[in-house]
Amino acid sequence: MDIVILLVVLVGSLGLAVVFGRYIARMIIYEKRPLEKTLGRVENGFYKIIGVDKYEQMTWKQYTLALIVTNAIAAGFLLAVLIYQNNLPLSPKPGLSLDLAFNTAASFVTNTNLQHYAGDQQLSIFSQMVGLTFLMFVAPASGMAAAFAFIRGFIRKEFGLGNFYVDFTRIILTLLLPIAFFSALLLLFLGAPQTLDPTITVGTLQGGNQTITIGPVASLESIKDLGSNGGGFFGANSAHPFENPTGVSNVFECILMLVIPLSFPVAYGHLLGKGRGISILAAMLIGFGVMLALGFSEQSGPTGLETRFGSFGSALFQESSIATNTGSANASLTGMSPNAVIGLFLGMFVQAIPGADGAGMMMMIIFVILTLFLVGLMVGKTPEFMSMKISPRDVKLAAFVFLIHPALILVPSVLAYTTESAQSILGEQTTPATFTQVLYEYSSAAANNGSDYLGTSANTPFWNWSTMAVMLLGRYAPFVLMLAIAGSFTLRDRKEVVEPIKTSGFLFVGVLSIMVFVLTVLTFFPFLIMGPFSM
Amino acid sequence: MRTIKSKVFSPAIRIVVLMIITTGVAYPLLITAIGQTTLPYQSNGSQVVLNGKVVGSELIAQNFNSTKFFQPRNSTDSGSGVDPDITPNMAISQIPVISNATGIPVNALKTLVELDIAKNKETNALVFAPDYINVLNLNVELVKQYPEVYAQEVLVKGGT
Repeated sequence: MDIVILLVVLVGSLGLAVVFGRYIARMIIYEKRPLEKTLGRVENGFYKIIGVDKYEQMTWKQYTLALIVTNAIAAGFLLAVLIYQNNLPLSPKPGLSLDLAFNTAASFVTNTNLQHYAGDQQLSIFSQMVGLTFLMFVAPASGMAAAFAFIRGFIRKEFGLGNFYVDFTRIILTLLLPIAFFSALLLLFLGAPQTLDPTITVGTLQGGNQTITIGPVASLESIKDLGSNGGGFFGANSAHPFENPTGVSNVFECILMLVIPLSFPVAYGHLLGKGRGISILAAMLIGFGVMLALGFSEQSGPTGLETRFGSFGSALFQESSIATNTGSANASLTGMSPNAVIGLFLGMFVQAIPGADGAGMMMMIIFVILTLFLVGLMVGKTPEFMSMKISPRDVKLAAFVFLIHPALILVPSVLAYTTESAQSILGEQTTPATFTQVLYEYSSAAANNGSDYLGTSANTPFWNWSTMAVMLLGRYAPFVLMLAIAGSFTLRDRKEVVEPIKTSGFLFVGVLSIMVFVLTVLTFFPFLIMGPFSM
Repeated sequence: MRTIKSKVFSPAIRIVVLMIITTGVAYPLLITAIGQTTLPYQSNGSQVVLNGKVVGSELIAQNFNSTKFFQPRNSTDSGSGVDPDITPNMAISQIPVISNATGIPVNALKTLVELDIAKNKETNALVFAPDYINVLNLNVELVKQYPEVYAQEVLVKGGT
């Protein structure tokens, strides 16, 4: 039975990834899509209102600026909604404090969805729907747009990185929105509610009264999973029966989380060589396989788990969610076995097995560049990628991307202890279990993952401001560096020669996987020893 | 400088407004409209009806203070705090107490437990979930099958 569940999730997500990967490839190089005429007409209407020329190409700096400015405006909107939700319609609730509102706005615009609030108690229907659901489209669309531009940098000389507004519009209107729409209907059918009422009051069997929080859950839930978002309508996230009612919805949500991240290597294969695409996909699946193996290796629960999912369904969901940097949870993290938690850390440290929508693919290419550089050193050859020489600047930028991550995790973790902010919410006595919770919080923020142990207990100024800074830097600093790399690659000459180090095939997959593992372990091992390994 | 600014800010503001309308308003409202018209049961929280009265949501646990009923998990034991289900072992271990309190034969209770397991299996396409019992559904079934046994409990506050 467990094996059937696993097979359905893997075959389902890979099968859909083949379909959507082909579609994404067409989007990246502006090839004809199914229903092209209709889609084109709708998009042209949007471009007209937005005031962009769809043929205008952006430099990497223009592209990055457009992305950041659009994100900032969207986040500003959410910030205002959260602070002033008491004055807005649809069951108003008190506005959030400034630090919590800033944290939440940063959290949703960076595709993190770390939640220091409980949505069912603290947010109005308007905030959940017009505020959060909207941001849940903006964040993955921005990550995917960045990945489009990044991949275009490798296609051929001066192919052009594209136009951010065009990519953003096309990704939302012709990919995320249609899938989210049908997924929301399916989740609704499976039991997720969808109403504008904030609560229902029912009589109980014994004649008492029960007030149940409800709302537009299905429409949020589908894009929550599809868009690597992870921010639940309820504080309990996908453990809550309204977000994830049955074993069937659990499997469906796993597939929904995996499909776009796995589509990217397929698209990459269509555009840059089938072997290369399959090799990247294989490396991602090996990493994900290690996470799953850790998750299944030990029984989790039953405390902290939902009966309808059991140990297997919980571990499968948690590992899928963290592998894709979605960060939603169908069980309490404290209920997960130590091995399963180590698997979760692995996913957040690597961020590319398969990682978030778009961002995971870019991170994996950064690992490819680092691998080519290191292997090039070993065999004494100038590293090349896609028939282009990798320059010292590329390697420096790639190394920066890699190093930002541990810096954003480890420095704030230390700060949390030296400022007593960790002790103030976790107790004076620091144990491996409490250290794990601190390390997890910043790993999750830096990876734009969003799952956490601390939850509403971290709603203090220190945790809100510090994780906000980590989420913003963890998102935009790598994006700027990655797009800078793409910007220089797109201007570079290609020589049609045999690659000195082949970027496809078994050997490359093996070397890449080992490099990813070694780089990650060397960076984080001491901290894993102090935390999860000692639990 | 001004042209660069307007060239970035103007499309960014417009695209944000358009997407708020599309993804934050139109999309959820359309799903709500479709849900409320075609799937009202699920849309409104899967409310269980007994004798014409709503007695809870089958997806949300409720407390039972009488030993004549099956009991859900303690709220803090689960991931959600409102886990509506229990494992077959938990249900079977409660049977003797319930049988004592109600006089319903053990075997009859076992059968009802098994029927609920089978029903949930069907909901989960047979293979997608471990066996479990939905506590509210099971208790509602008890009341339906043995109305005289539960006359007092069910009518305590509800009137007729």
